[in-house]
Amino acid sequence: MPNALPSRDREGVGILNFSWATACKIAWRESRSSSFKFLFVILAVAVGVGSLTGVRGFSRAFHEMLLSQARTLMAADLSLRVFELPTPQQDSALAALSRLGVDRTWITETVTMASASVEKPPMLVSVKAVDPKKYPFYGEIRLSPPAPLSRALTADTVAVSDDVLLRLNLKVGDSIRLGGQPFRIVGEVTYEPDRMLGTLNVGPRVMMTRDGLDRAGLILPGSRAAERFLFRLSPNSPGIEPVRERLKATFPDALIADFRESHPLVTQALNRATTFLSLVSLITLIIGAIGVGTAMRAHIQQRMDSIAIMKCIGARSSHVMRIYLLQTIALGLAGGLVGVAFGLVVQRVFPSFLARYFELEPTAHWDFVTAAQGIGIAVLASLLFTLPPLIGIRRIRPSLILRREMEETKPDWPTRFAEARASLLAGATILIGFAGIAMSFATGTPRDIWRTGEYFAGALVISFTALSAVAWLMLRVLKIASRGKLPASVRHGISNLYRPGAHAQSVLVALGVGVMFTLTIYLVQHGMIAEMNRSSPPGMPNVFLIDIAPKDRDAVLDLVKQQRGVEGAPEVIGTVAAKISSVDGQPVDQMNLKGFARRYRSPRSVTSAAAMPDYVDLVRGRWWDSASGAPQVCVDEDAAKILHIQPGSEMRWAISGREVQTRVACVQSIDSVHLSSRVEFIFNTSALAGFPVIYYSSLRAQPSTVPALQEALYKRFPTVTVVNIADVLQIIQGVVDRISQVVRFISMFAILAGAVILSSSVAGTRFRRMREVVILKTLGATRWRVSRIFSVEFLVLGAVAGLMGSLLAGGFANLLLKRMLDAQTSIPVVPIAVSVVATAFIANAAGWMASFPILGQKPLEILREE
Amino acid sequence: MHATQCHNKKLEVHPPRSDLRAPAIQVSGLTKSIPTATHRVDILRGIDLEIQLGEFVAIMGPSGSGKSTLLGLLAGLDTPTSGQIILDGEDITGLDEDRMALLRGRKVGFVFQSYHLLPTLTAEENVLLPYELTGGNGSSGISDGPKRARELLESVGLLDRRDHYPVQLSGGEQQRVALARAFMVRPPILLADEPTGNLDTENGKHVLELLISLNLREGTTLVLVTHDEALSSRASRRITLRDGRIVSDERENAERATEPRP
Ligand SMILES: Nc1ncnc2c1ncn2[C@@H]1O[C@H](COP(=O)(O)OP(=O)(O)O)[C@@H](O)[C@H]1O
Ligand SMILES: [Mg+2]
Repeated sequence: MPNALPSRDREGVGILNFSWATACKIAWRESRSSSFKFLFVILAVAVGVGSLTGVRGFSRAFHEMLLSQARTLMAADLSLRVFELPTPQQDSALAALSRLGVDRTWITETVTMASASVEKPPMLVSVKAVDPKKYPFYGEIRLSPPAPLSRALTADTVAVSDDVLLRLNLKVGDSIRLGGQPFRIVGEVTYEPDRMLGTLNVGPRVMMTRDGLDRAGLILPGSRAAERFLFRLSPNSPGIEPVRERLKATFPDALIADFRESHPLVTQALNRATTFLSLVSLITLIIGAIGVGTAMRAHIQQRMDSIAIMKCIGARSSHVMRIYLLQTIALGLAGGLVGVAFGLVVQRVFPSFLARYFELEPTAHWDFVTAAQGIGIAVLASLLFTLPPLIGIRRIRPSLILRREMEETKPDWPTRFAEARASLLAGATILIGFAGIAMSFATGTPRDIWRTGEYFAGALVISFTALSAVAWLMLRVLKIASRGKLPASVRHGISNLYRPGAHAQSVLVALGVGVMFTLTIYLVQHGMIAEMNRSSPPGMPNVFLIDIAPKDRDAVLDLVKQQRGVEGAPEVIGTVAAKISSVDGQPVDQMNLKGFARRYRSPRSVTSAAAMPDYVDLVRGRWWDSASGAPQVCVDEDAAKILHIQPGSEMRWAISGREVQTRVACVQSIDSVHLSSRVEFIFNTSALAGFPVIYYSSLRAQPSTVPALQEALYKRFPTVTVVNIADVLQIIQGVVDRISQVVRFISMFAILAGAVILSSSVAGTRFRRMREVVILKTLGATRWRVSRIFSVEFLVLGAVAGLMGSLLAGGFANLLLKRMLDAQTSIPVVPIAVSVVATAFIANAAGWMASFPILGQKPLEILREE
Repeated sequence: MHATQCHNKKLEVHPPRSDLRAPAIQVSGLTKSIPTATHRVDILRGIDLEIQLGEFVAIMGPSGSGKSTLLGLLAGLDTPTSGQIILDGEDITGLDEDRMALLRGRKVGFVFQSYHLLPTLTAEENVLLPYELTGGNGSSGISDGPKRARELLESVGLLDRRDHYPVQLSGGEQQRVALARAFMVRPPILLADEPTGNLDTENGKHVLELLISLNLREGTTLVLVTHDEALSSRASRRITLRDGRIVSDERENAERATEPRP
């Protein structure tokens, strides 16, 4: 229709000086008139932002909590194992580090003989000399009777483990002789969280001061000692990585580990938890943004009439855009602020709940970065999602409101394409913006961050495209299906989905994406926990029996089986001491081996096996078909790397003075929980036949029953050494359990947040429904009737969105589990079914709750609003 | 409240007998006030009115005099502050929302100034809607709803547009669909609030002709709010409102007007 106003508009007579201030004023006035609707939008935005900041805040707090627990397993941030005492240059480098705020303590471990008195038989003990003023940097060493280590240990005292007392028949307060010197036993070590770290931790423990060590004269040139330095970083010192780099440069041959590597299980669990937590953060970001986006979109759509009127009275598109841009920013900002406050409240309130039910105690703290991110995302998401409709303002004809008339035909394809181009552009902007935000969340190398952005954008594009396509198809199918004979309200409900102006497609996509990501969190969580349990099964051994003579083997096993508290059958392997002579013709003595790798120059314990045990992971090559035949060996992955061994390599061995030639059949890796993982070379059975064998056994016992087992074994088989790691294992299991609890909790929280946001996006259709409710009522529909129509609509909407979302989630979660977490994958039938039902239910409940208040309203009030 | 509910039940069981017909609309002492932030707006200040079955009443009055409010109250779209309304023998004062909706479905057709078609339904489905909402053929006495809907669409000249959605129709066309919808279940009472107010003269005239002819054909009681003097002269009765009161109530010569329904 011809527009009477544009000429005036062009000449600028209509609104001459349309400043931002004016736009601001108009935007404010408009929001005042329908404050309830605006409040609704703000709340919807707040829910999105609140969940986002809540989840992120929790993630951070949990992560810190887990890291601090992991530190106690090392008693430090970093550990440096050296094979020679530091040179003067190295000493000065260490001193330079301590000036930067990196505290350091020196630990020496060695093995020696201890006895109760000169005439009594001695036993082998592993000594750990520490500086009790500093050690441990994290966690604590517990003694019985209780006393702080720093006070108990002096140059004349030692603390020992229970097996020392048992074997030497001593009690606390008695004297023990080490290196010919007497020491008073001040207590029994009951808890030493970093015990696993030492390499000479096999024997019973004696802990003493460095002065004591010197007095006993245990360290002589050439004696077998392990020197370690522990480091603690202060808040203003350089971070772990730079310190590590400096240490690496100063001690090129040393073994350096940080607290995340105290135990393989802990390392793996921590890495997974870290990946998972950042994944959840990203996903809540999407879900939160969808919440914000749908709220703002619904809001702008309702403003279309106002926009048309403004254009009628001479506002230019740019003016209108200005007004709504300001309004959008204001709403985003307000929602963001409320949301951040909400997120903070959640973080304050939840810890007490957590402490009670989850035994987790994260320290919630005011995190400015998260808050700023939350608000930023609220504004950005609002802007990004309102951009397409705002671009559309240009196309709104003023006639829309004046004559309530619309074009009868759809625009032709070129026009539609031109219009779509603007929207596509806006879509691309949205995508890039969000990938950017996602990358700002990610940690790691630039490549990792980049990959995060790619994954994120990829997942978004795929899910949105797939969902839009399926939504479109679905609506077609529904349209055809609803032609059949159906009850009137069912037909009406279904047709509400595909009619023009029904927005079902956008709600469907929003809902579907929400379901997809929420379910992805659940599935990844589930897969991860299953994987964690698989690699740390509850039956993991916690007691090791070392040096069992072949003649005692069966008797020892029988005795163990009769003991109370032993769970399951003990694992036994027979080992043979074998020294590598050469690999592919190159003698080991001529290889350039550094630090810990020099171990290959000494005899190693090797074992044999016929069939491949099920816990062996073949990395390369093939296991032998029959155990007899020519000698073959399967080599551990790390050893293979150090010694440059491939399947097909030739290895020469010296075993009990005999020369053995083997072909390498395969390279394997064994989960560190198995006894065989401590043996790096597995031969076929015939290769080791006839050599002297020493047996090792591992078993699982209830920690409280281990002392009794130790005593019984000692009485009958004094030569068998019992290594009890039950307490340490308990600590490790504790950390791993805690990690899985965190993962469970966070995913539960994120799923809850997802459900709330999904509800709010359905509830956002509320205002659209008002007029429909009123017209239906005017025509004689009861409230029950109206709600039945809506129920059908919401149920179908929810079920379809749930189905599409969960199918996508299945694929996506499998991809993530495989790529990022190395976990096993499967098709989650039950979770999919549950999500479909749950989404239908949530959509229905949310739609119902949102529509219910409208049902009771007097029609005339709403009709007057026209 | 209790009294009206009992009353209401009784009336549902005994529909008015045709030989002893109550007036179509009886209104007594009707007031409507709305408290606003600053003061109370008295929109209707005491209306007493009786409209017989089959009458064609035009309600006139300046803008803001309370015409729409009165019509809304008659249709039970809002509750009065005080007073009583009896529609076709049934007291609607104090009926709850659902009973009101059911009664409206059976007895009242409504045509709005701004059409109020459901944008999500086609023309035909919009017309059929009251029939479906009143439970199909059961209570409305119409055996073949879809057939009647098509007949009505034909009589407003839109049979060929029956699959179009409201956005695809012009204002005049939308209002003609709304007319067909209002007559769908043969309600005894038809209320129309400035049905031509949004239309140009040409279209307005067309709609009005249709309204009057359909009304004659169906024998409905018609209450029509209008500013059109010429139109009001065709009514059997002209009521003028001002400031929420009836200031005049004139009848034409009764020859053509109050023919009772057959
Ligand atoms: N919800 C309301 N709040 C305040 N004033 C109202 C409301 N509804 C109607 N009015 C006032 O009541 C008067 C009558 O309105 P209305 O019945 O629409 O008049 P008419 O249809 O005759 O033009 C008007 O002055 C209007 O401002
Ligand atoms: Mg009016």
